[in-house]
Amino acid sequence: MENSNKLEIREVSKLFLTQDSYKEAIENVSLDVKENEFLVLLGPGECGKTVLLNIIAGLMEADSGEIYIDGRKTGGINPQIGMIFQELGILPWLTVRDNVSMPAKFKGQPKKERYEHGQKYIDLVGLHGFEKYYPNQLSGGMKQRVGIARAYASGCDILLMDEPFGKLDAQTRYSMQEEILKIWEQNKKTVIFVTNNIEEAVYLGDRIVLFTASPMSVRHVYDLTDLPRPRNYTDEKFLQIRSEINQHMDLVVK
Amino acid sequence: MKKIRNITRRDVFLAVLPVLSILMAIGLWLLVSSGEDHIIPTPGEVYERAVRLFEKPINHVSLWGHIWASVKRVLIGLFFACVTGIPFGLLIGWNKTCRSVLKPLFDLIRPIPALAWIPLMTLWFGIGETSKIALIYMGTLRPVLVNTYAGVSMTPQINIDVARVFGASQFQVVKDIVMPSTLSAILAGIKTALGTGWIVVLAAEMISANTGLGFMIIRGSNVADLALVIFAMLIIGIVGALLSAVLTFLERKLCPWKTVIN
Repeated sequence: MENSNKLEIREVSKLFLTQDSYKEAIENVSLDVKENEFLVLLGPGECGKTVLLNIIAGLMEADSGEIYIDGRKTGGINPQIGMIFQELGILPWLTVRDNVSMPAKFKGQPKKERYEHGQKYIDLVGLHGFEKYYPNQLSGGMKQRVGIARAYASGCDILLMDEPFGKLDAQTRYSMQEEILKIWEQNKKTVIFVTNNIEEAVYLGDRIVLFTASPMSVRHVYDLTDLPRPRNYTDEKFLQIRSEINQHMDLVVK
Repeated sequence: MKKIRNITRRDVFLAVLPVLSILMAIGLWLLVSSGEDHIIPTPGEVYERAVRLFEKPINHVSLWGHIWASVKRVLIGLFFACVTGIPFGLLIGWNKTCRSVLKPLFDLIRPIPALAWIPLMTLWFGIGETSKIALIYMGTLRPVLVNTYAGVSMTPQINIDVARVFGASQFQVVKDIVMPSTLSAILAGIKTALGTGWIVVLAAEMISANTGLGFMIIRGSNVADLALVIFAMLIIGIVGALLSAVLTFLERKLCPWKTVIN
């Protein structure tokens, strides 16, 4: 089933209530996401990318439109979907090990089993030896690794990432981008990665969906499957795509 | 990842300061009390009075008995405040219907100081233990409840979202997300409640009691035994500080993630 559509988004719209009227946040967005592809959703800040991701995750409801996973219509929380948040959402009262095995705990798996299962992913993200640390003992990049391990350990096949590296410093950000690709290549999943950073989008994505600013709709889809990985930020082709996207991206003054 | 640090001069200075400030307070006390008009007993007199207290207990109850009488009342009142206040706070924090029904009532009763309940409590429960404990309950319920409620409503939405995405049921969200993130707010509420309870118990004992530290103060006042009053005040301060220290210790044990920092 290689190259089949894992996830289909059909004409999704979402309105938001503002002080005196309705405002369209998402306007008629349709997207196909292929199995095991790394899809990047790129758009200016606060254009509604997070809202779309929350709708896919089932945390919010769309006003119209449908979402299909493996051809089946989905609504609400779906165990096939895992998520990595910009705000981390790492629980401060749980150790690394307990954070990672949290999804298994909700499923009622016994402690020993879920620790064993979680260990695999703690090792995968390079946190071996930090199992019993509390989040406030970890750096920002390490905390985000906990988030990645947790999403992987949840056994999802679609991984939503909401600007996961947005709050990291530049250096850590580069190394986490490399890391996430490495993990994804070892453990293929369908990834939908949201960012407002063009460079990050071009470095990571198999395809990039560029959105317009409010209301958010699809402006263009860039196919980068021909650009081999690991990509080089200063490569001619890289820079060419980067500036092309740059010309088409809306500027939002905040 | 323990940090090793050398003890600097400044550390020593900072460690010595508390001792110095207490010594200074005693010095000031000596200065004021040694005046001609004798407005306050000297530290020596208070010390002698304390020694006599051990030889001849007040009302046939030892100093420890009086301390325990007061502490016991506070703890019982606080216990009932926790048992009712925490579930109640969770309920109005989490359930919107309960909040709409119960919060206005609570908001109305909240500003009434515990001591204003004295006449009613006396009428309902007499002047015995029950009325004192009921009074303390009224005083300690508020901080426990308010903090629990505030803690619940301040649970970060992101933590709830995370739990939901990873398949938590409504019950699991409350048990595994809301409760732990509220725990430190609850403990802070209990700490405040302990302080309030300690004030209320003394007031209650000063009105009618034959044991307790509040009673000791009134006894001293009635027989113009100012040394006894001062001694009882000192004990009140020390016991109050100790109770608060115990809670701080408990908080560290219950919320280890708050204190482990590399």
